[in-house]
Formats: sequence, structure tokens, C-alpha cells
Amino acid sequence: MSAPVRDPGAAGARVDGAAAQGSTPARLRDLGALAVECALAAGAAEAEACVESTRSFSVGVSGGAIETLKQNVTRGLGLRVLVGDAVGFVTTTDLTEGTLDDLAHRAVALARFLTPDPCNAFVTPAEAEGADGATLPEDLALFDPAVRELPAEKKIEWALELERLALAFDPRITRTDGAHVSTHDGASAIVNSNGIARAWDSTAVTAYVVPLADDRDGRQQTGCYGVSKRWLRDLPEPRAIAAEAARRAVSRIGARSVPSARVPVVLHPDIAANWISEMHKAFSGEALLKESSWLTGKLEQLIAAPLVTLVDDGRLRAGIGTEPWDGEGVATRKNRLIDRGRLATFVYDVYHARRAGRRSSGNAVRGYSSQPSIGFTNLYIEAGAQSPEQILKQVDRGFFMDDQGSFGFNSVTGDYSYQAQGFWIENGEKAFPVEGVTVASNSLEMLKNVVAVGNDLRFDHSVASSTLLISEMTVSGRAA
Amino acid sequence: MSRNASRPDVDFADRFPRELAGELLAIAREGGADFSEVYAEYTVQTAFALDEGRLKRSSVAVLEGVGVRANAGAQTGYACADGFLPADLREAARVAGHIARDGGAGRVAPFHVTDSPAPFTLSFPAPLALDEAAKIAMLRRADEAARSADRRVREVEITHADSTRRFVVANSDGRWAEDRQYLSRFSVAALALEGDNRQQGFAAAGGCVEAGYFESERTPETVAREAAQSAITLLAAREPEAGSTPVVVAPGWGGVMVHECFGHSMEGDGIRKRTSIRADQRGRQVAAKGVTIVDSGVVPFSRGSFRVDDEGTPAQRTVLVEDGILIGYMWDLLNARIMRERPTGNGRRSSYRDYPLCRMTNTYIESGPHTPEDLVADVKRGLFCKHLGGGSVNPADGNFSFVVTEAWQIEDGRLTHPVRNATLTGNGNDAMLKIDAVANDLKIDGTTGSCGKNGQWKPCGVGQPTVRFSEITVGGTAT
Ligand SMILES: [Zn+2]
Repeated sequence: MSAPVRDPGAAGARVDGAAAQGSTPARLRDLGALAVECALAAGAAEAEACVESTRSFSVGVSGGAIETLKQNVTRGLGLRVLVGDAVGFVTTTDLTEGTLDDLAHRAVALARFLTPDPCNAFVTPAEAEGADGATLPEDLALFDPAVRELPAEKKIEWALELERLALAFDPRITRTDGAHVSTHDGASAIVNSNGIARAWDSTAVTAYVVPLADDRDGRQQTGCYGVSKRWLRDLPEPRAIAAEAARRAVSRIGARSVPSARVPVVLHPDIAANWISEMHKAFSGEALLKESSWLTGKLEQLIAAPLVTLVDDGRLRAGIGTEPWDGEGVATRKNRLIDRGRLATFVYDVYHARRAGRRSSGNAVRGYSSQPSIGFTNLYIEAGAQSPEQILKQVDRGFFMDDQGSFGFNSVTGDYSYQAQGFWIENGEKAFPVEGVTVASNSLEMLKNVVAVGNDLRFDHSVASSTLLISEMTVSGRAA
Repeated sequence: MSRNASRPDVDFADRFPRELAGELLAIAREGGADFSEVYAEYTVQTAFALDEGRLKRSSVAVLEGVGVRANAGAQTGYACADGFLPADLREAARVAGHIARDGGAGRVAPFHVTDSPAPFTLSFPAPLALDEAAKIAMLRRADEAARSADRRVREVEITHADSTRRFVVANSDGRWAEDRQYLSRFSVAALALEGDNRQQGFAAAGGCVEAGYFESERTPETVAREAAQSAITLLAAREPEAGSTPVVVAPGWGGVMVHECFGHSMEGDGIRKRTSIRADQRGRQVAAKGVTIVDSGVVPFSRGSFRVDDEGTPAQRTVLVEDGILIGYMWDLLNARIMRERPTGNGRRSSYRDYPLCRMTNTYIESGPHTPEDLVADVKRGLFCKHLGGGSVNPADGNFSFVVTEAWQIEDGRLTHPVRNATLTGNGNDAMLKIDAVANDLKIDGTTGSCGKNGQWKPCGVGQPTVRFSEITVGGTAT
């Protein structure tokens, strides 16, 4: 059967049959408590369990037909044990009765191989509370029942509509590399033997489309745009998503390279967001301790233009990166990493905070299958005053960067060198599309060279920025 | 402790009997799907990590479950369940089968066991033969070696990770195939400091190897010294000159360029959907004369090798380009069936939680006639790329980019000084045509690569001899 499926009908309805079962946060918390008990009985001095259960659904369509329909119902448990100040870790997807005891013994056996370190300890309720004694939980709006209940056929319809709208946007868009809609519905629990017992649930919905525009010589230009939200009602209309993606593809038609030059560069919000997500490792308390951060020794110094305030906010309401508690059960919080140009703080998990003689900043990131490590939540540069158009107007001759390759950041040195696409700017306007160039600088220079921050901050994902203008970067293209 | 905490080689056959597999395949075809498949997996992963001279992390992970796929034409329905509870698996099979619903129930053919020969066998697979104490001893030896290599080495991070993966794949055409795959990976990252200048060097070893490999082929000391040396070299490196220039790429890992610039565009899904620029290029010249490109799942001891792929198709050697002419693509079952091609053993998935995709195994350029020295000697001014970092390509427009972690400036046929932070960019359409010389020193690096596609990561090998490109755009800050 190869006919396009245009009316998903009963298929959609029955796919949802599995929705009813699923683990509640309370059940996961009980399971975590049981695992902790097993670990103590197996000889652990302290123990901590992280349990997750997720139900995810995704549909991909292409050429007006469903290409893939996928549903994963998964669950797993990670158990950390402390034996003689060393940590052992075991994780499994087999949560049937009788396996927890075996798991606990394995974890204890592993811990005995490791180097004891008094900073290894699981968090206590007193340490784990929010900054300023904030009472928890406030409503962070992480769970939307409408996402859980959204029928599969509705998601399929949306994906088909996304693709249709992208194709209808411009005659030069003759196909797509797919349109996708996915939902995620999960519960998490963190329990430890010091009295921490957290459990919560959350949802997410994502939609994106990848239109391809015909360019000269049979080549294609790609546009890609998508948005992830916790709440269904926060997701933009399919029309808006499709139009943005299609506009990106069409705008690149006829792109060419330019001669190498040092010029001002305008970073599209997506590009700026990617930069700060790469930069984040330099703000890790672990990197600071090991001197592997290019920000080593710069605390309290002016490292950026005063226009720049970089925030990691674990409590952004309905944020995709928001969690009430981090991966160790510590209350998340809003941390200002750069405050008006000044390096204000590094971020910590419990272990590295203890080594540094301070408290965790609520930045331990993990899933059940990994041990906590320092990461970010919702990371963004605070919005400025100027519109993106006003920023463009300030550039006589320069580059507007709105797409990039995947690799090009050195987290030890802060060096930045990416394959880029975008537009050449002449007299404050986009003159023609550009490809086949790389844009390079160093993050410390870039931070200091931020001369404008846009007012167009928008959270499409967990990392966000406004448009930024960097006064000078190296754009390398063809020989001059 | 008498208990072996890793205990990787558990048999799960009794938890996934053939009758259950047959029942699931039938459920998945109830709605009229023309193909169904079940994939049951039991994987144990262990990891040990040492940094700051301390053994900080150890872990054992058990991943077990079953995925069910149904195909109706080009459409895929997929669902998975953790564990082997029959009720969960039947539910997964029903969900997967909903991709089709207007046909009659399909038959499931009797099973025939795939018994293709293994491309190589291991007497003492490292994940089984090395116990915790042995792995920890390796970490300590590497730490010592990296720190004593140079006093500027400040921090060393060492990881040993391995996995034992056992799976059964069965389908409605009557295929029943099993495989057991062992992977080990040992890696060292060394941080060198000199004043404000900090640089990191990286090296790795491993693959689908015998325990003895870490004593005879690549010892912890060798890997550690390579990482330390690279970090020290980079302390003295200069910024690259931006612009177009001849580029010579070192053998082995440098093959990541052919993987990105060419290999991805040769995968059967992009050919069938015509999203790849290579869809109409069979028989055409796509690389310079003298260039032969191969994808082979049977390279001994590489992490991209296996007996059967994740659809149960035996691994094979597939010539993609012969003397510059495109002669064949890579195929998984789905795309081969639709395109009436023969599957080439390229159906791979990251675990039972994902459906298989068409993707590479070990992809490499065959040796050519020149000596590696010739390739550099002929260059007046250019870049020699010794270590490449990550690379990526956009399959639709072909634009690629690579980070070169350690390069050397070529001046008048000689390597003069190290260069850091160079980025190579270009378009895959013509990159392989720009190869103007291939040396005779083929090396396949099956130790460390992982390829990402549609969110799934999979171990891959890459390789090439020393290769010269007549011109590639190098990005950098010096102009
Ligand atoms: Zn790849």
C-alpha cells in the first residue's frame, strides 16, 4: 500500500489507546524510595534514585503523506550510592520487581573501586531549598493536560498542514525535507536517603518543517524553523511556523560567497542563541576548578559590553528548560552569569559547590541514565532596546549571519569559527544572500564587541537571544 | 567483591521466545502492513572516568526492550517498550501496525535463521575479558603518562567505556537473525596551560577489539602521550590564514571528510526521496579519476563493523565510487524494497527505541599511487590537517564544515608551524572532484567515530590515505 494517507481517521484514534497507563509522579517517587531502601540494605551509607517515565509521540510527513509514526513508552531508574565517600552508579530500563535489590548490590560493588572524596554526598533538605528561602513548589506551569490528551490524528493533521502551508508559500518551494509534530509527556522523581523526595510531571510539544527551495543548477536551499513549548496554546499557528521556515529557504536562493574581510556582523537570534549555549561550559564551576575555562580568573571583571546580561533561569514560567528541582533535587533558580558586562557568577552542582565552599546553584542536569553534571536550564541574553531593523541600519558594510554549521566552537579557548550563511549588508540593508563563508573570532572579543542588543527576544526553545551586533569579526570567503 | 558488577553477557532468549516474536509480527500486520519486524535487545554498558587524578565515576547501564516496526509502502509505524513483558510488547505491535489499516491481515513466513559468517571473531572481547580492576589500571597508567609527558600538562580526563549488545531481529519475510556486538573506547583529553594560553589535546583507542589490543596495538601510554603532545603543540600554534588554499588531509580519521562530504549523500533514503543531489548520478563522474570510495561493514576490529546489521542483513563491502565513477548506493530494507535494489547491510539503529535508518558503516577512500611525502612536497602554500574535529553537512544543499583541531602550515613543500582553529568549508557537490592526489597509506580509524542522523547516534569507522584537495576554503581570524 503506497497511497498517501490523507485521512488518518481510526489510525489516529487507536494509537492513543496506550495513553491511559503511564506512571504518576507519586508512583515514581515510591519506586525511588524503594530503590534507596534496597541500596541502604546492600551496604550504602547514602543513596539517591532518579526515576523517569515518558510517553512520546512523533509524526513526520513528507509529500503529503505520513512517513513515520512513532510512539515510545519508556521508563528507567538511575541509582547512585555512597560507600566510603565514593559514588557508584547503576541504571536500568528493567523496573520489574526483584531487580532493584540486584541493582543496589551492583552499585555498591562499583563504588568500592573509586577514590573516596568527602565532597561526595547527596544533598540535604536544608541545602536544597531555593535561594532566599523561596517556598516551593510555586506553579511553574510545566504540565499541560491538553498536550497529554491531544489526539494523534490532530498531530498528523498539523504536520500535513505545516507542510502544505510551507509549499504554498512560494512557487519555488517544490518539496520539503519533512514536517514534524511531536509531543512528550513525562514524570520524574528524585529521592535520596537524606529526606529529599521530589516528583513532578511535565509536557512538551514541538512542531517544525524543513522546506527546500529550488536554486540554480538543480541545487536546493534549506529553510528550517520549529518551536518547542510546554503548553499547546503557546505554540504558534502552523501558518506562522511554515511561513518563517519557507521565508528562510527562499531568501537563500542565489546565495554566493564574498571576499574575505573584517566587518561588523549581525547575529540572528538563533545564531546568538547557539553561541551562548556553547559558551555556557565556560561558566561551569567544574571548568573553573580545573582551569579549563577561558573565564578562569575573571570573576567580577568586566568581560563584556555593559549591554550584555546573560541569564540562566531555571524558574522561567512554562520554560522548556524549566524544572522545579535540578537533577539532584536542589531547587532551581535564576542565575545572572553576566550582569551588565560583569562576570557575576559560575554555576554549580552539589559536588563542585562543596569543593568551592559554596552552595549548588541548582544546575545539576541529568536524565535517569546519567549522573548529574553541570548544565543550563533556560539560557538567554536579556533583551535590549533596539529593533532588528534599527540594528541593521547601523551597518554600512557587513554580514548578517542567520545559519551556521554544527561544529566550530572551542570550549577551552572560546574560539569561534563557523561555516555561515546569511546576507551581505550594504548601507544598512540586506543586499544579497551569502553562502560559502566562515565567520570567526574569539568569544571574549565578541562579548566586548557587542554594540547593540535587539528587543526581539523570543523563547522558541530553552536557549534564546535577541539580535546582536558585533562590531568586528573575520568573514572568510573566496580570495579577494 | 566476588560479584562482578558489570556482568555483561546475559542471555535473554528465554524472555523472547520465537512464538512471541511470531505473534507480534502478526499483530503488526493485522491492519494490512506489507512488512513487520521485531527487534529485541539487551545491552550492558560500563564506564569508568578518571580526572584530576581521581577515579570519580563508574557506571553500569542495562538497556533492554523491544521495538516493533510496520511498513506500508514507504510509511513506517514504530513503537517500543522497555523490558520484555508480553502485554507491553503486544501493545507496541498494535500501535506500530496502525500505520496501515485498510488492507487484510498479512502473513508471517516461517523463520529461517540467518547464518552468514562473521567477518572476524574475537577470542577475548575486551568488554568481557577486562574486569573493573584492569580498566582502572589502564586509566591510572594513562594519567601518569600524560602528566609526565610535559610539565605544562595541567589536567587530564580519561574515560574507558564499553558495551555488550545482544539482539534478535525477526521479520514477516521469515528472517531470524541474532548478533552480539562488543565495543570498547578509551579516550584521553589533556589540558595544557602556559600563562593565559590554554589548549586541549585529544586521543582515543578502541573499536570492536580483543582485550590484548590495549597492550599490543594502542596502549594507554600511547594514547595519553598523543593527547598531551597535541595540547602542547597547540600552545605554539598560530591562527590560520583565511581564504582558499590547497589542503592535505592526514590518513585515518581524516576520512571523516568523505563520510560527511560524500557518504551521507549516498544513503538510500535520500536517493529514494530524491533529497540527495546524487539521486541521478549513477554512472557519472563524481570524484576525481583515481578515487575509489567504499563502505564496508566487514573491516576487522572497527566499531563500524558487524556480522549482520540491525535488520539482520549480512554486512558486506560496497563500492560506491570506482575510479571516480559512481557505481552504487547504500541500502536498508525499506528503501531497497521500494527502489528494487539489493540491501547492502546498511540498516542501522541506535537501539530498540528507534527504527532503522539507512546509514554508513566504515566509509573510506582506497589507497592511490603517491607517497604521502609527495603530496606535501608539491604544495607551495597550503594547509596540512593532522587532526580533524567534528564535521557536519546539510544533505539538501551539500554545504559542509569541519573543525581542524591541529593543522600545520605548508610553505614551499614543508610543514613550517602548527595552526589552530582552522575551519574547512565547502560544498559536497564538488569536494570529491577537487581531490588531486591520493597517497598509498590507507588507514581506517575504527576507534572513536559516532555519526548522528535524525537524532540517532551510531558508531562508525572512517578512513583514507593521505589525500590532497586542490582548493578548500579555510576560515580563520588572520587575513
Ligand atoms: Zn555522519
